[in-house]
Amino acid sequence: MRSKQSLVWPKRLHWDKYFRPQSIPEALQILGEFQGKAKLLAGGTDLILQIRNGEIAPKALVDITRIPGLDQITLEGGVIRIGPLVTHTQLSQSPLIREKATALSEGASQLGSPQIRNLGTVAGNIVSGQPGADTTIPLLSLDAKVKVVSKQGERTVPLTEFFLSTGKTVVDSMREMVTEIYFSPLAEDESSVSLRLAKRKALALPILTVSVVVSANMKQRKFNRVKIGLGPVALIPFRPREAEQMFASAPLTDKVIKGAARKAAQEANPRTSLLRGSETYRREVVANLVERGIRQGIERLEVKHG
Amino acid sequence: MAKEKIQFEVNGKHVRLEVEPDELLIDVLRDHLGLKGTKAGCRAGECGACSVILNDKVVTSCLIPAMKADGGKIKTVEGLETDGELHPLQKAFVEKGAIQCGFCTPGMLLSAKSLLDQNPHPTIEEIKVAISGVLCRCTGYQKIIHAIDYASKATPSKEA
Repeated sequence: MRSKQSLVWPKRLHWDKYFRPQSIPEALQILGEFQGKAKLLAGGTDLILQIRNGEIAPKALVDITRIPGLDQITLEGGVIRIGPLVTHTQLSQSPLIREKATALSEGASQLGSPQIRNLGTVAGNIVSGQPGADTTIPLLSLDAKVKVVSKQGERTVPLTEFFLSTGKTVVDSMREMVTEIYFSPLAEDESSVSLRLAKRKALALPILTVSVVVSANMKQRKFNRVKIGLGPVALIPFRPREAEQMFASAPLTDKVIKGAARKAAQEANPRTSLLRGSETYRREVVANLVERGIRQGIERLEVKHG
Repeated sequence: MAKEKIQFEVNGKHVRLEVEPDELLIDVLRDHLGLKGTKAGCRAGECGACSVILNDKVVTSCLIPAMKADGGKIKTVEGLETDGELHPLQKAFVEKGAIQCGFCTPGMLLSAKSLLDQNPHPTIEEIKVAISGVLCRCTGYQKIIHAIDYASKATPSKEA
């Protein structure tokens, strides 16, 4: 936090070395050499703040923005892949993401401000491990997976198993980096929506972020399945599984939607917070935004199959 | 700490300089190059007073290590005018009374320029989103929005 003696932030942030590796192995090599005292820098919108706030004090920054080929969004073989340098602006403007992962494009366009969206990356947004992160929540509802690479090799972690606690993920920042986020594009019978409640429309942390992926048979007026991402309502980004289950092959009725939204509010575990309001209020917000998200998802399916 | 050599293009001029590895772009612009039009407000990416255009994108220079901008192309508010003549956006801000204390003005102008470069005829809603990263504590937003709208209509697709 800001020091009590001074109301002015210091200019200098006291890292000694600034590296600009040209490849992933080179970046991992530097991380290894510094034994946890080096941090990867991509957008820097969280990292520089953490350093300024005194939460971390790395000796070296490893700027990965010069590594070629990491800023691509691709669709190949039925999989959408997002490179670790893809910014929120890129996501929100990509026609592919808008059409095939609408909730993610909406989440990215609601984050921060134009300046922050131009700098910040999706990979950084998930690695920061915040339970209500604007792109994490839609990625969670899209069942995204994360590729994590170290000198020993690579592993794939479903986003549902990626978060350990607030600010903590399975990525070992001393020796690993995220190199890809991937997921399936929305199917013909699917739509997706992200909604966000915050005190202002820009540069305000969310009171709640909700993303839904709705799959329904519009001719038979039946849900196939619904996936819901919620945050921050727990220490980590949250999927209300019981609420999701209530949609499985259920009729497309008000009763089903309201009942499941209410269940999601019960499953969520928000705390009373000065910033976000009382627990009771926050549960109401969960029920309301889940319901609204599902309804918008259905509207989008109606348009799609109009 | 060993100083590092970097270079970039600032307002069309090529600049070489030596910086500390932990210096931020905002301080290099202000303290090394004397470009004090770029304001230091919150130093946390929230007020937008330090906004500059880096490689065609508006960004908060308080969150960017100077070394990260090495080799880049930067525009600050000082680079908006051409041969002593104000940029159409600057003229519109003056004409429409979009300046009060002036602290947010550079960030507002660069946000607006970035918008008009990509979208010469924005809607009012698009203008609001474009300036949403800059706080005006005089709360003169309406005049600013009006000025940007006016500039976009007065200068059809004229590149600065």
